[in-house]
Amino acid sequence: MSISMESENKTAPLSPVATRQNMREWLLSPEPKSPFQARLGRLYLNWRAFARNPLAMVGLAIIIMLVTTAIFADFIAPTSPVAGGDLRTARLLAPSAQHWFGTDEQARDIFSRIVHGSRITLWIVLLVTIITTPIGLLIGTVSGYFGGWLDSVLMRLTDICLAFPRLVLALALVAALGPGIENAVIAIALTSWPPYARLARAETLTIRKNDYISAIRLQGASDTRIIFRHVVPLCISSVIVRVTLDMAGIILTAAGLGFLGLGAQPPAPEWGLMIAAGRNYLLEHWWVAAMPGLAIFVVSLGFNLLGDGLRDVLDPKAAR
Amino acid sequence: MTAPLLELDGLHVDFHLRSGTVHAVRGLSFTLGRERLGIVGESGSGKSQTGRAILGLTPPPGHVTAKKMTFDGIDLLNANKETWRKLRGRRLTMVMQDPKYSLNPIMTIGDQIMETFRSHVKASRSEARDKAIEMLEAVQIRDPGRVFSLYPHEVSGGMGQRAMIAMMLVTDPDLFIADEITSALDVTVQMEVLHILDELVAERGMGLIFISHDLKLVSSFCDRVLVMYGGRVMEELSASQLGNAQHPYTQGLLKCLPTLDNASRPLPVLTRDPEWLA
Amino acid sequence: MSDGILKMLEVDNLAVTYGSGRLINHAVKKVSFQVEQGEAYGLVGESGSGKSTILRAICGLAPVSGGTMRLNGAPVTSPRDQNFHRSVQMVFQDPYGSLHPRHTVDRVLSEPMAIHGLDSRNDRIVQALAEVGLGPTFRFRFPHQLSGGQRQRVAIARALILEPKLLLLDEPTSALDASVQAEILNLLDDLRRKRGLTYILVSHDLAVVSYLCNRLLVMRNGDAIEELTTDRLREGSASSDYTRTLLSASHGFARRGSHVPNARATG
Repeated sequence: MSISMESENKTAPLSPVATRQNMREWLLSPEPKSPFQARLGRLYLNWRAFARNPLAMVGLAIIIMLVTTAIFADFIAPTSPVAGGDLRTARLLAPSAQHWFGTDEQARDIFSRIVHGSRITLWIVLLVTIITTPIGLLIGTVSGYFGGWLDSVLMRLTDICLAFPRLVLALALVAALGPGIENAVIAIALTSWPPYARLARAETLTIRKNDYISAIRLQGASDTRIIFRHVVPLCISSVIVRVTLDMAGIILTAAGLGFLGLGAQPPAPEWGLMIAAGRNYLLEHWWVAAMPGLAIFVVSLGFNLLGDGLRDVLDPKAAR
Repeated sequence: MTAPLLELDGLHVDFHLRSGTVHAVRGLSFTLGRERLGIVGESGSGKSQTGRAILGLTPPPGHVTAKKMTFDGIDLLNANKETWRKLRGRRLTMVMQDPKYSLNPIMTIGDQIMETFRSHVKASRSEARDKAIEMLEAVQIRDPGRVFSLYPHEVSGGMGQRAMIAMMLVTDPDLFIADEITSALDVTVQMEVLHILDELVAERGMGLIFISHDLKLVSSFCDRVLVMYGGRVMEELSASQLGNAQHPYTQGLLKCLPTLDNASRPLPVLTRDPEWLA
Repeated sequence: MSDGILKMLEVDNLAVTYGSGRLINHAVKKVSFQVEQGEAYGLVGESGSGKSTILRAICGLAPVSGGTMRLNGAPVTSPRDQNFHRSVQMVFQDPYGSLHPRHTVDRVLSEPMAIHGLDSRNDRIVQALAEVGLGPTFRFRFPHQLSGGQRQRVAIARALILEPKLLLLDEPTSALDASVQAEILNLLDDLRRKRGLTYILVSHDLAVVSYLCNRLLVMRNGDAIEELTTDRLREGSASSDYTRTLLSASHGFARRGSHVPNARATG
């Protein structure tokens, strides 16, 4: 189905304002002419609702900044994150015009390290999301939909993973597979999916009772079709909101693991690792630990605000 | 010539939403004495919002304006919290559709009636308890002592609705608003509840506003009927004159219902004249 | 009743029981009835009578604990097969709960065809919408952009798109305004005559049942009380007291002096 702007019947050349007006009318049309138009229209309305919340926009701005910094790190960072300057003169310099965030004990520019560290942070966030969200959704919906012994088994599995101490698992993985960011991520992911499974299961239990599920069952739909095409689309919004809100915790956990030396290894500019290194210089050279700490704080805040904003838009009951 | 109990002139209830303003009630006027007034309308006609506006319970972002809105001479439009506390639940009460949602689920029925009574009238616990039992008897609950200690989820819909009526009548109000009180009940239970309400209203000489979507039921129960559509009154008539309804909306509403007596098909469909919304 | 023609549906001593032990609930207790092809059969009762449960049991949505059912002479298999789904469909009571909130009308109508591998879907969708009185402008709307009556029309279109022979209607108009109810009842009546469908209609409203159906079964607390024709119902000649109580209640409120049901509560 093609979008036809000419359907508005305006023959004169369109000014930018008029084009935008047409686009808006097209998106908000109460009688959409294609599934594409219908879906875009809904997205547009959701976006408008989201954009009305100033804090949510701040959160979005922070996340966009994070992503941009990570992508363009090479261009933004003034110096290399791993090569240090002269160890005799450039160590532990205070923030100045030359070194915006100062230098650390290896005479490396902290600002550059933070900029490059954003890549690692983003990488961790993406990996954890990609692993935990599908697992949580699948286990939760299957458990809630079928009930019975399958539900019991899956929920006990969930309980076990929930009870597992994250740090101990990380230590075990490091001992078995060697230290590194990927192993830290796996440790975090394997212990983070249970809440999403529980959430998805709770939603599925409510959704299952509705007549539209009975109707599609009566039309001969297989359980797979019902779960993936009818139940999951309804669970996804609350899971997305929960994941966004948990992001802050994930970043902090990764930083914590880095702090303990279980995640990223030196000289990687991982923010948690930087805080660990700066610990020794806290009293006189506070910026070495404080700057990466500030970065973690800002990014966590961004995810929290984004998650809150998303929840207000996607879950109308919670918006009050 | 008794002074009117309730006077409404030019009542407007507007909801200012981001997508535009919804005019739920547009210029409603009537006076009510100690009689039974029925307000009939379909969904979106503004009938429930009228009831809530009278009690000052319009939910935000609703906005109530009127030229005049008085209850027994007291101005309701500009009433402060103190005035409302003296009126609501005491002289002006309302019962809504589903007792599942209007009764407190974690208090026994008796406790709720007692609480209502004691918040308006100075009484000791035993006096309040006696009054509650008396009210439960008045709504023809055969074993009031037992029902007193039951929780709302332990009683049927009809019983819950009777308990709600008992609770709302315990302070002997002057005006009683019933908002679709029988719509969630089975038809035989509906008749029982209405009979009880009928006797109590007659005994106590209360004013009654009966809000419903069921035109026939309202006209068989009330003295006067207001037919609402799109926030306006389409027609006001006395219940006995229903057969001579003049307005096409009222006539359409009467004709479009299937009845046991009439087997003609197809059912006449109500054609909505956009003029009615003007 | 000629024995040569197969009955559309035969229900024999159907029982549906939920729960066990102390919480056991006999929703339907040994109910039997038969529905002829092309007829409209009503199930009438108040809440808790088991009428909706019977419909669900027919569809396989409620657990059957006893009795048998035969569709067109053949016993109904459990789980229901695709042939059953092509023959029997249902319209649900709540128009706000029977359509998936994230699916457009087009999706709602095309999915059953995708499941059963039907072709010329576009034409069928357009035709289905036209038959229920909705134009093509409704095709890509979401349920929240439709009124109650429009949603119910979509639900009817969905039920009919697989061209079933038996349509189960679970209080299809009780959640609708009176004026909209009249339109939907006319539509249902019209569709039945045009397509030669068989209906089983569940309702608490005697007037609605008498409008659409020719025979009805009165139920109470899971038991079948009485079966009678609409004509007899209209005459008021019911044999059981309960049916008579329902009839008098349906005539509306009558002050003391006229016939009045016993108003004493039994706790």
